[in-house]
Amino acid sequence: MNTVRGIAIVAGLFLLGTLLHRAGVPIPGGVLGLLLFYGALTAGLVKLQWVESAANLLLRHMVLLFVPLTVGLMEMGHVLSRQAFALTASLVVSFLAVLLTTGLLGRWLLPFAEEAEAEPCAEHDRAEAGR
Amino acid sequence: MSLIVWLRSPVFSVCLTVAAYAVALGLHRRWRWIPPIVAACLPIIALLLLVREPYAEYNRGGDLLTWWLGPATVALAVPIYRNGQRLRRSLPRLLGIVFAGAVVGMTTAGLTAWLLGAPTSVVMSVVPKSVTTPIAIEVCRELGGIPQITIAMVILAGVLGATFGPMVLRLAGVRDDRAIGVAVGSSSHGIGTASLVRRSEMQAAVSSWAMATSGVVTSLLAALLALFLR
Repeated sequence: MNTVRGIAIVAGLFLLGTLLHRAGVPIPGGVLGLLLFYGALTAGLVKLQWVESAANLLLRHMVLLFVPLTVGLMEMGHVLSRQAFALTASLVVSFLAVLLTTGLLGRWLLPFAEEAEAEPCAEHDRAEAGR
Repeated sequence: MSLIVWLRSPVFSVCLTVAAYAVALGLHRRWRWIPPIVAACLPIIALLLLVREPYAEYNRGGDLLTWWLGPATVALAVPIYRNGQRLRRSLPRLLGIVFAGAVVGMTTAGLTAWLLGAPTSVVMSVVPKSVTTPIAIEVCRELGGIPQITIAMVILAGVLGATFGPMVLRLAGVRDDRAIGVAVGSSSHGIGTASLVRRSEMQAAVSSWAMATSGVVTSLLAALLALFLR
């Protein structure tokens, strides 16, 4: 029941985001829905336990949702083979650039002193999972 | 002939896709190195080629599944909210790091492809390659790219991060759990995050926060870019 309610909330916010996007907001509908959803969670309008199981379901099986688009690669052979080198180079260069920029910034900006906050949270999560 | 009619119904596409996905998950559980997306797509492509069915026909049903990528994007608010609560103290710094990662990711991906002579539609398809698939697809459409290319790039970035991410970071001397999490989440979204779950809870929590946040930041930057290009 909770999952059904959660799905309805999430799908409703997506439709609302899409409407706003069509009305001229230059941010994609899904991301607008995400921002509205985050705002609603932060403001306490939507409780995490109403939506958690639905969100977990959608996120866990996200791969299923992009299978149909990926199957479309079967008609893209010519583009892919012509651009294979540019695509591979772009993939590897950009992957390493992002990984190292964020990793090294993290090493610099996130000092060890704050690591203490990891422990109580792990406990909290286990308690939550047991509920 | 009635078999063909039945094969063409959108419901059949959905059933076929769900079945292929279930089998792919089973294969992935048995042999971890098989990415579920590849194992799910190959049999479908093989079947469509075998019965000479055009992709567009299959995708009339496929669209019913693709639509749910929108709600899945909305659902990303949950990892941002849940993990954001526990990371309160390092949140401003993490946000700065994710922002830097998004800028670097979009520019290096786009510039490399452009310098190597890729046409504009291909350049725009690679720009969102570091972020989670549903957001990457939306960004790609906004920029006028080709969603299929974006998906392939996104998945490969995820596989690279899941396979080599932690190793490259160790070589670079990055040992802090939060730094590893933010780096893998920013560069390899959900696929990278999933690979961290078995390593450390802290890494996985930061990574799933970073994956969702980096998607939002990238789509906001892309919206600016789209206004500028227009």
